[in-house]
Amino acid sequence: MKIIAIITAILIFISLYLIFGYARVEGTMLEVQKIFYYHVSAALTVFVAFGVNCVFSIKYLIQRKPNDDLLAVAAAELGIVFCTIALLSGPIWARYAWNTWWNWEPRLTSTLVLWLMYVGYFILRSALEGDRRSVYSAVLGIVAFLDVPIVYYAVDIWQGGLHPDRGTKWSLEATMRHTWMVALIALIMLFVFLLIVRYRMKKAQARYEVIQQRHLTEASS
Amino acid sequence: MKIAVLVSFIAVLVVFFFVAQVPVTLTSDEVAKAVSEATAESGVPVDEEVLERAVQLSVAKLEKGQSTRLKYLASAYLVIWLVFVLYVLQLDRQQQELDRRLAQLEQESDTQ
Repeated sequence: MKIIAIITAILIFISLYLIFGYARVEGTMLEVQKIFYYHVSAALTVFVAFGVNCVFSIKYLIQRKPNDDLLAVAAAELGIVFCTIALLSGPIWARYAWNTWWNWEPRLTSTLVLWLMYVGYFILRSALEGDRRSVYSAVLGIVAFLDVPIVYYAVDIWQGGLHPDRGTKWSLEATMRHTWMVALIALIMLFVFLLIVRYRMKKAQARYEVIQQRHLTEASS
Repeated sequence: MKIAVLVSFIAVLVVFFFVAQVPVTLTSDEVAKAVSEATAESGVPVDEEVLERAVQLSVAKLEKGQSTRLKYLASAYLVIWLVFVLYVLQLDRQQQELDRRLAQLEQESDTQ
């Protein structure tokens, strides 16, 4: 755990150094283009997070192990955090590049829908109890994940959006591409680290609830 | 936890300071020298004075735009940092609440 934390911290510092000290300043957007490195990396980490949620939701529905449910919830929570970062850093880019804070173009709209669906996931969880909560939220997690490929392919499905093509990031100049890759790895590592932290916390909380229940039963008898 | 937040804030400040240290630093002499070299290399006859004036105006425009662009850049990274910090503080608060409830439970079982 400590090793993951140290590696993550080092990678974040390296990525920040690369963003501001190594990557070439892009010709059109100039310094503002540097938002790209964490914005796009956060957006891709969202796919990873919701992917983990989907996998463990399916696993929970098959095997009914409470730990799978806890892991799915932890991943969904982090997915929302990274999605919030992508949704908040995007408009700052948009204001400079497109002269507007928000535009109802395909990728932005589908990402907002994705965020709202996972917010709904937590509203559903807070409204239910016990096994029903885990089962219903697992089903919603799987259904919500269907929006991930829609977000990813939005620029291809609906032509004429403001976002660039999917392959643009791979055709970047070498220093920019290397920087973006390090930033992506750093954020994925941060996701893994926070996922472990959140999972352990949720597990401890679940254990506490069991002990408390047992304690109350013993006290009443 | 507070130390971690403080350290990360200092790191963000250092990054902003680093960002602010990259202005367009082209002096009139540097522009004149570059224009003279470029025209000599190209071999095309041009009015150096007009060209130099055009380059100087472009540099001034770039410098003016740069401070705006740096504000956008700094705002974006500040927002990213803020989201993470708020999330980590929320985690810390939840952990403290769980610790408190555990201690309470232990105390209750001891008294029984």
